[in-house]
Amino acid sequence: MDQAAAFQKLWLDTFGNVANVWSQFSPGSPPPEEMRRVRGGMLKAMAGAWDEFIRTPQFMEMMKASLNGALDLRRMGREGMNKMHEQFETPSKEDLDSILLAIRHVERRLLDRVEGVGDRVLNISEQLEKLDERLGKMDERIEKLSPGADRPPAAPRKTKAK
Amino acid sequence: MSTTTDTNEKTDTLGDWEAWQTSFLNEGFTNLRRLAALPFLPEKMARVRKGVTPREIVYEEDRLKLYRYIGEGEIKHKTPLCFVFALVNRPYIVDLKEGRSVVAHFVNAGFDTYLIDWGTPTRAERFLTTDDYVNGYMDNVVNYLRERTGADQVSLLGYCMGGTLSTIYTALHQEKVRNLILLAAGIDFATREGLINLWTDPRYFDVDKFVDTMGNIPADFLQNAFLMLKPIANLIEKPINLMENIHKEEFVEDYLYMETWLNDNIPVPGEVYREFAKYLFQQNLLTKNRLPVGRHTVDLRKITCPLLNLMAKNDDLVPCAQSEPLNDLVSSRDKEKIVWPAGHIGLAVSGKAQKELWPRATEWLAKRSQ
Repeated sequence: MDQAAAFQKLWLDTFGNVANVWSQFSPGSPPPEEMRRVRGGMLKAMAGAWDEFIRTPQFMEMMKASLNGALDLRRMGREGMNKMHEQFETPSKEDLDSILLAIRHVERRLLDRVEGVGDRVLNISEQLEKLDERLGKMDERIEKLSPGADRPPAAPRKTKAK
Repeated sequence: MSTTTDTNEKTDTLGDWEAWQTSFLNEGFTNLRRLAALPFLPEKMARVRKGVTPREIVYEEDRLKLYRYIGEGEIKHKTPLCFVFALVNRPYIVDLKEGRSVVAHFVNAGFDTYLIDWGTPTRAERFLTTDDYVNGYMDNVVNYLRERTGADQVSLLGYCMGGTLSTIYTALHQEKVRNLILLAAGIDFATREGLINLWTDPRYFDVDKFVDTMGNIPADFLQNAFLMLKPIANLIEKPINLMENIHKEEFVEDYLYMETWLNDNIPVPGEVYREFAKYLFQQNLLTKNRLPVGRHTVDLRKITCPLLNLMAKNDDLVPCAQSEPLNDLVSSRDKEKIVWPAGHIGLAVSGKAQKELWPRATEWLAKRSQ
């Protein structure tokens, strides 16, 4: 009932505003320009009324009802198709979707694991860096404490180029 | 006295009559020109190009393509710039035609410019989530650009939903983003100014039922929703305007380029749509720093890079109130916002924006890209 009233109001507003625009028609001006002006006014009046209407809860209720109806119809159609596919033992859209979903789950689990491993590797490398620093400091201390501390440090070990 | 008045009245009537006659003649001839122009419309439609600046594909992953724009001059700025567009439309709106290209401004200013084309999702992409797009595709593109250019960081320019994705990416990977430019990006969905926000109200829109039934969200559905934002303007005024100006070469060209793009919608992966509708439009989690993206939670306070937030004053799709709060939610010290007198698309392609806004934005980025 509310929706009918809102719809009625929309058309009443539209016609009222359009009539108002026509009442300002001045027959003295050349018709093409005047018609263009009136047309602009009419469209503006209609746009105003519609703009107001599509923001009302009644419009949104209508939208909800029609969308839900369309979705239910689609679902019913699909269920019928699924039954047919089942009888003929052919894959349906839902079968394909469930396969895709299963692949996604596996992919997600793998990615999570990889990300977890990545985090752990990062953590380990940070700890290694800290350990390296500590070892370096310990090396320095050992160097200082050892009797031959004033000797020049040994040359770095050469590695074979691959 | 009365004779003079009569003469004046007669002259006025004659004047009216002459004006009427001239007006009818003009209208008649214009109508002939309009009719004569009509048969050439299909030919003009066939000439519409999708993107004008020369480009090459430099990276591909699944449906995604990364384009690099080829400029004539040398690259002057070390930090590469990457355009991120929405998942709803095709991205060539940022390179629409000669004189209406945002990309061209940056390319001509010596930026190494790239653009992400997400491609058209099929049913195989139905279960892709925002996490896949942000921490998967976008992160791979940014890593690729860092490797390719040798720059540590990349500047991002996000438009519409691409702006939201860029913001999410920057909050999660701030160390990889040098500058963030947003165009009409939806951030705060609490406002009820925009119709999309109203229509996605959980009382009237069951997003789970919709996505579960539809899978990917069809392009037609999105196109109709956009048309319904301004039904009279889009369905009545626009065709009338075309018929009235069909004899004007420039008008028709602009119209056809715009319409080609507007009608070139692509489906949106169902799960991304579900997350956007539920977490952003219905629960507004981004501004609350509680938006879940995979295993991560987006905290806008982690954004510290320079931010340029561009908004359109007459935007029906993403009202200013939806973008504006971002500047107060990030930790960046260097942040600027510009509210431009245009609509959602006009912000990128209008003559005034091309002349004034984009040179300004280019300059803003140039100062921060060395």
